[in-house]
Amino acid sequence: MAHEIYTYPKSRELFTRAARFIPSGVYGHLGPAEGCFIPIEAYPLFGERASGSYFWDADGHRFIDYMCAYGPNILGYNDPDVDEAARKQREKGDCMTSPSSVMIDFAELLVDTVASADWAFFAKNGNDVTTLAVMAARAYTHRKKIVFFKGYYHGISAWTQKIDYAGIIEEDVVNNIYIDWNDAEAVERVFAENKNEIAAVIAQPYMHGNFKDNELPADGFWAKLRKLCTENSTVLVVDDVRAGFRLDIAGSDHYFGFEADMICFCKAIANGYNVSALCGKEFMKNTISSMSYTGSYWLSAVPFAAGIACIEKMKKLGCPEILIAKGTKLKKELIKAAADVGWDLHVSGIPSLFYLRLADDPSLMVHQEWIAECVRRGVFFTSHHNHFVNASLTDEDIAETVSVAKEALEVVKLRHPEL
Amino acid sequence: MSENIDQKTLAYINMYGVLGSLSTLCDTVPEARKILGQTGISVGFAVKDGPRATLTFIGGRCIVKEGAEDCTIRIPFSSPEKFNGMVNGTVTPIPTKGFVHLPFLLGKFTKLTNLLETYLRPSAEQLEDEEFFKNSTAVMFRLIACSVAQIANHDKIGQFSASNIVDGPILLEIKDFAKAALIAKDHRLTYTAKVPKTVMSYMQFADVKTARDLFDGKINSVAAVGDGLVRIGGMISQIDNVNRILSRVELYLK
Repeated sequence: MAHEIYTYPKSRELFTRAARFIPSGVYGHLGPAEGCFIPIEAYPLFGERASGSYFWDADGHRFIDYMCAYGPNILGYNDPDVDEAARKQREKGDCMTSPSSVMIDFAELLVDTVASADWAFFAKNGNDVTTLAVMAARAYTHRKKIVFFKGYYHGISAWTQKIDYAGIIEEDVVNNIYIDWNDAEAVERVFAENKNEIAAVIAQPYMHGNFKDNELPADGFWAKLRKLCTENSTVLVVDDVRAGFRLDIAGSDHYFGFEADMICFCKAIANGYNVSALCGKEFMKNTISSMSYTGSYWLSAVPFAAGIACIEKMKKLGCPEILIAKGTKLKKELIKAAADVGWDLHVSGIPSLFYLRLADDPSLMVHQEWIAECVRRGVFFTSHHNHFVNASLTDEDIAETVSVAKEALEVVKLRHPEL
Repeated sequence: MSENIDQKTLAYINMYGVLGSLSTLCDTVPEARKILGQTGISVGFAVKDGPRATLTFIGGRCIVKEGAEDCTIRIPFSSPEKFNGMVNGTVTPIPTKGFVHLPFLLGKFTKLTNLLETYLRPSAEQLEDEEFFKNSTAVMFRLIACSVAQIANHDKIGQFSASNIVDGPILLEIKDFAKAALIAKDHRLTYTAKVPKTVMSYMQFADVKTARDLFDGKINSVAAVGDGLVRIGGMISQIDNVNRILSRVELYLK
């Protein structure tokens, strides 16, 4: 049976209203430009509600959601255990003059859970903690330079952006050194050329850049980075904001067999409640203590309670393993569906964070058409970014996803007899 | 925040973007063809440490080619600054070849560049005329597209953006009105009015008014994507970086 084709009159109406008073209507990664809504008519612009693996848009359409709010939804939207913990804490107090002791409970839990954590510092967004990590590395080493891997995303502060971005001046990024992921020789060269100058190396656990296949670390790459950082007294920062808890409950550094000096978490840490955490080794703790770094809502108690419930449930479920298994099942079936129409679907990255690319058209236009046809039929994929699997995704959801993907592939194949 | 513009980059923009737009002017504006008449003459501009190009005027058209050797009149400039001075009217060009053709430079060529200025810096009143509006937008479109390539290849920040552009043609289009392509190869961009059959990415403006509003800064391209007035597709990392370079065009063309 053919799947219903969605249209979005209510979304459009809301967007028109939004654009009058909000710059670009919906800005950032949830918006149509950064979100690569190609063509825009295929995508919902506003959500109404969410539950489990689904969200419903303003027009009442249900989507199986493989973006999971770009990561926060790891157990399923509105997880009852997390929401109950949050509700109970809200009744007691949230944003107060003195922080709740639930903050200590959360820090203790993170230290017990994350392999490289001797302490935890809390904020709100991933950018808050990546910025703290870089500032702390500079404070600890009294050095300026930071090494990045091309294709990175570490947030939106000036130091994370590039010289050609609006509002960025040369001085914001003059101490940034960019090298290619998995280029061990470049790492060695950069350390040799900048002796006693590199404060930190910051990296995601593997390269999940946009518009290209995601790239796992080459054999020995992380070990080499770890060794060079240690030998050069450079702080090794892992930005686990995106991948955190989807590879390994103990941190993605643990998954790849090394220890970060500091590791950044956000997104999945509290199943959608707004909290982020920087965890690190004992030797960095005094430096962090010395820093002037805080925010109005950073010590609110409700997200801490939600985070505790989320991490405990993830541990109980064996969450990363479940997500990887679900992602692997979906990956295999999608690859087969594409092969059935004679196309070559590349699925890269760890399956709990899979990235899709139809390799038959290097321009990605056909890929964008396929993704758009999936979205129109109720499966929310994106054409540019890695996806996120959540624990509430069922075998039935996967079967429905594959059915939609097949139909969408057939529709697009008919348009492109040349491929 | 104030930024200094790079004179060499500006010289390339002035050569291939501004003077190069005479080709579009001659193709679209009858008055330009009338000024030229049946003139057959070529003017080579040779800028030390900068661009070298020849404008050939023939049959009412203008053809731009790289190199300043094969020309009727040759005008050398000792620096990009001097060449930029000629374009903004503060430096008087002195040819080293083709003195006999000076009347062309002082007459038809000056009239033509004055006409070009009218189309590049029109008044609000002039834009009320539909034909003028369209022709002015066509000339602007070419200038802007060509300037993107010059900035990508010569401006320090533009070069950074270009370093993130993968190979392949990028289509810029005003729907049902005008097309141009930027060919990306080894992180350099080449402007061409001849669009290849297949492209790696595209940025399409819904209509002439949208394009004009974008050029004039009345609307923003990111916001226009949400409105469906700008459509993008293909290798979006190309478009993303071209868009960053586009934001520098204004700096050079002010």
